Amino acid sequence: MWTWLKGPGKAFRKPLPGSTNYLGAYDKQGQLARMKNNRDGDQADRRRNEPEALEDEDVAAKRDMEDENLSEEDRELRAEQRKIARATREAEVDDMDEREGRPRERLTDLRPYPLNHGFRSQPVLSEDLREMLYIQTVEQGHDLSSVAATFGVDLRRVAAVVRLKTIEKQWQAEGKPLATAYSEAVLKMLPTTPFKPNTNNPVTPHEPINDLPVHPSTRPQIFYPASESRSFTCEDAAAVFDRKLLPADKRIPLPMLVDLEKWKNEGLNRAERTARQIEKDRSAREEAETKERKKLEWEERTQRTVPGRRWDFNFQDISAEKVGKDGRGRDAIGFRYGMPHIDRKAGVVKIPTSVQ
Amino acid sequence: MVLRLRLARVATPGGARRHAPIYNIVLAQARTARDSLPLEVLGTYNPIPTLPEGFSEKDVKEGKARKQKDIKVDVARAKYWLGVGAQPSNTVWRLLSLIGLLEPKYLPTGPQTEKALKAVRFPTHVPSSKTAAGSEATEEGVVTQAIREAAVAKGCLISTMVRYQE
Repeated sequence: MWTWLKGPGKAFRKPLPGSTNYLGAYDKQGQLARMKNNRDGDQADRRRNEPEALEDEDVAAKRDMEDENLSEEDRELRAEQRKIARATREAEVDDMDEREGRPRERLTDLRPYPLNHGFRSQPVLSEDLREMLYIQTVEQGHDLSSVAATFGVDLRRVAAVVRLKTIEKQWQAEGKPLATAYSEAVLKMLPTTPFKPNTNNPVTPHEPINDLPVHPSTRPQIFYPASESRSFTCEDAAAVFDRKLLPADKRIPLPMLVDLEKWKNEGLNRAERTARQIEKDRSAREEAETKERKKLEWEERTQRTVPGRRWDFNFQDISAEKVGKDGRGRDAIGFRYGMPHIDRKAGVVKIPTSVQ
Repeated sequence: MVLRLRLARVATPGGARRHAPIYNIVLAQARTARDSLPLEVLGTYNPIPTLPEGFSEKDVKEGKARKQKDIKVDVARAKYWLGVGAQPSNTVWRLLSLIGLLEPKYLPTGPQTEKALKAVRFPTHVPSSKTAAGSEATEEGVVTQAIREAAVAKGCLISTMVRYQE
């Protein structure tokens, strides 16, 4: 232990700022693994000293004013773009300063337990992002699901944030002390999902796109023999667990993130992706409206309520044709009648004649 | 043999139970046993008034909700069987008359009843535009008309009563 403390363990005496300091991020000699062959830090230093990246606002504005081809609106637009670019750069530089020129953690650096390669520490919501979620839902009154989709955070997580934030505000109003020092210390030790307003990428999706919550009906281990010739898909597997369980593809909490990733792989640029997203949202909304309208029409056509003195009579027009040819259709309305079993009758072949 | 539209008591999905009757509205030969296999199942009738979903007895007492009896029936099929002479039992008559499929046996006549019946009629039973125009000309509902005719045929005093009500 002492040798370790004096040798490789020395690095942990003073934790690095802006880094998670997991054991998995260091090699056996106690060196940060990502510092070895990554020149990201040098690049950042170079970029900071680059003169071209952003010219002074006054100079740029003056140049725009002198350019006669530009209209007033164009000038405003360009000024806005410059502002965003500047904020983005400032955020980058701040980020880099905080990490003291060290590169960001790679996925392999986020393993707190070096012997457990499968476990990667997942990011938590940063304080800024939590505050933003609260403002969006409570103060601006947007509905939870839209906020969840916009910020790439699971719906249940947004709800939890709103609940806890409400309590926090209430305590602040009551003058109760908050354990902020503790929360700050913990947040420093964990990877966080940032929220950077007024930059090119204000939102970082929080949830991994293919994370699936474990549904209670998938917990039992089931031995289900299926013939080799049968194609056994996700849908079939879901049906084996529970008749009503949706297949895994349809239980993904934020399916729009999967679409987004697919579009990125197709090589679409940002504008095209946004256009597709808008188109998709619109068609989904239309579909929902059509469904609602059809349901109303169907109710109008087939349902009647006749008010009686003490109770209402609810009439529902149904189709009696669903019973099928043998009169035993499973989705037919009405309670069915029994039929004699013929499995003991002489002359009836009991051996199955076909195999499916 | 006569075909009847009647109720057949059936076992509830959890098995037969006392004090929890539930019925199929069926078409059957008149002289067969009540619960035997019918010619056709036309619907169901739950005679126990139930609370609408999400409400409690308290809501009913406070007048926020009303209890309801659920009736499912294939209206077009029932109309067909009535048209070819199937005879409804008293209970089925009462139920079908609620949706304007039959004249009610015991109801006050007059424009108010006519209007109430028209409001609940299913589209299959709304008279075509031609007949509707014809009935408008007489300014008398189907029910009132029928009762008046019957009364006249019997030579009874009901016709005067009807006139008095109007």
